[in-house]
Amino acid sequence: MSRHEVLISGFGGQGVAVTGRALGSAAVSAGLRATMLLSHGTETRGGYVRSQVVISDESIDSPVVENPDIFCALSQAAYTRFIHLVSQGVVFYDPETATPGPASGARLVAVPAREIALESAGNERAANSVMLGAVLRRLNLFPVKYGMQALRGLLPRHAESNIRAVRAGYLRYME
Amino acid sequence: MRTFFDTGNAAIVEAAVLSGCGVFSGYPITPATEIAENMSRRLPLAGGFYIQAEDETAALHICIGGALGGLKTMTATSGPGYVLYADPYGWAISGEVPLVIVNAQRVGPVSGITGAPGQGEFYLSRYPTHGGNFETVVLAPNSVQEAFTMTMEAFNLAERFRTPVTILADQLVTDGYESFTVPENEEELRALGLEVIPRRAHPGPDFYPACDALDVPPVVLGLGLGAACSDWTPTAEGYDTEDTAEQMRHARRLIYKILAHRDLVDRSELHALEDDPDVVLVSYGSPSRVVLGAVKEARRQDLSAGCIRLKSLWPFQDELFRRKAEYFVVELNVEGQLVREVERASRRPAHFMGLCGELPSSAELVRAIRRILRGEALPPATDEREIR
Repeated sequence: MSRHEVLISGFGGQGVAVTGRALGSAAVSAGLRATMLLSHGTETRGGYVRSQVVISDESIDSPVVENPDIFCALSQAAYTRFIHLVSQGVVFYDPETATPGPASGARLVAVPAREIALESAGNERAANSVMLGAVLRRLNLFPVKYGMQALRGLLPRHAESNIRAVRAGYLRYME
Repeated sequence: MRTFFDTGNAAIVEAAVLSGCGVFSGYPITPATEIAENMSRRLPLAGGFYIQAEDETAALHICIGGALGGLKTMTATSGPGYVLYADPYGWAISGEVPLVIVNAQRVGPVSGITGAPGQGEFYLSRYPTHGGNFETVVLAPNSVQEAFTMTMEAFNLAERFRTPVTILADQLVTDGYESFTVPENEEELRALGLEVIPRRAHPGPDFYPACDALDVPPVVLGLGLGAACSDWTPTAEGYDTEDTAEQMRHARRLIYKILAHRDLVDRSELHALEDDPDVVLVSYGSPSRVVLGAVKEARRQDLSAGCIRLKSLWPFQDELFRRKAEYFVVELNVEGQLVREVERASRRPAHFMGLCGELPSSAELVRAIRRILRGEALPPATDEREIR
């Protein structure tokens, strides 16, 4: 198995860190190696946040995402800032929050995450879990149950709604 | 063994608790806040004390108090707090007080950016206080697993050398998540090459012996041993003196107790140096992860490159830089700190790439290696970052 890179970026409060942690935890539960670099501004909510997740079955040298297989752009600012990194990967974006600009080589996939979260989980704040579902489906490295278990550990009080959102995101992007 | 996917901060806390840390005092600061936060939960359950200090100066003074009371102690901060340790750091060095200090470096100067890594305290960790006449012991992890093992090793080195030990990490190591393994019993601890050296107490009366000996038990007050400790130059019995000959003996002890036992501190990781490559990359901490990946990629492209990673920073390992190679130093500061030491140790000018708050990409490192191999100079770090 080669190295897989996932970049998630948006504003503080959107669940950028939780989504990355869930993805990394799930990979480790599935017996793989994972790293996640978290960069953020000073603000708790509203500031810039970025999770760089690398998954591999071998030890991971650089934890830096240089050429993401998947880029989840949760805001326009994130899209604009990092789209240049994607040379052949997939970009998941919510058309309500980001309008894609020029992207050479990247495959752009609109994920109406807020809308799907509202339908499936009854809570638009689970939009990040919809994205997580789409990412898990796209990566297709391990069973989705590991992602759901990870969310149970990370968001014990909101696990069920987020798991519904993961499932919805996962099923929507069955290819 | 238990495997976690968690931060360097979490790993440091696990290691401190396993090492028998009895007092943690700190003042929260990103990217080390979770150490204080988790210590406040974990230590009381393990019979220890968590003391929230009013500032970093007080925090390290409290740690000194805990250590002189016979407990292992630790504090954790980032650059803006590390500089406030200056006064108590000197007390701990001169009073030979064993304790562990974590500095999760972020980009500076001053408050800089909370959530971005930096490597601005390389020299500050060599001279963390005024007055001179001392050596420091500084370790530098580059992964969450290493943050765990180095914290345990730091407690032991502090104990054996009777001195504060700094773990000079960076934001990507402390805030970054990674899979890491924690031993659950003695056997698993030994399997990882780790041990726990218990806190002892010097029986006196020569609390401050004029020798370079290792494993001199630390001074513990309140045991009826007649122990004394202050910020003044001590006689062997620990009383204040103004005798410059005593000062000279004390200074020699502070320096040579460490230099005479360098083998216990020196740590490095060498990669692809067997065939004497033309370019040798040098780094520590988070950038070394990218450097290793870049060197492997360079080798795939038949470029003559290898790398040295420093796992201990001070005392500086001059012997590693005796090769006739082009040294290429990669750091998270723009002016260049490690590069100055590499140039001094190798007696050669070195190439340098310095970045601010962001790791380089391995692609740009490979381009730089090509450039050096062609005999071209790298653009100054203050110019355009992109190397073509």
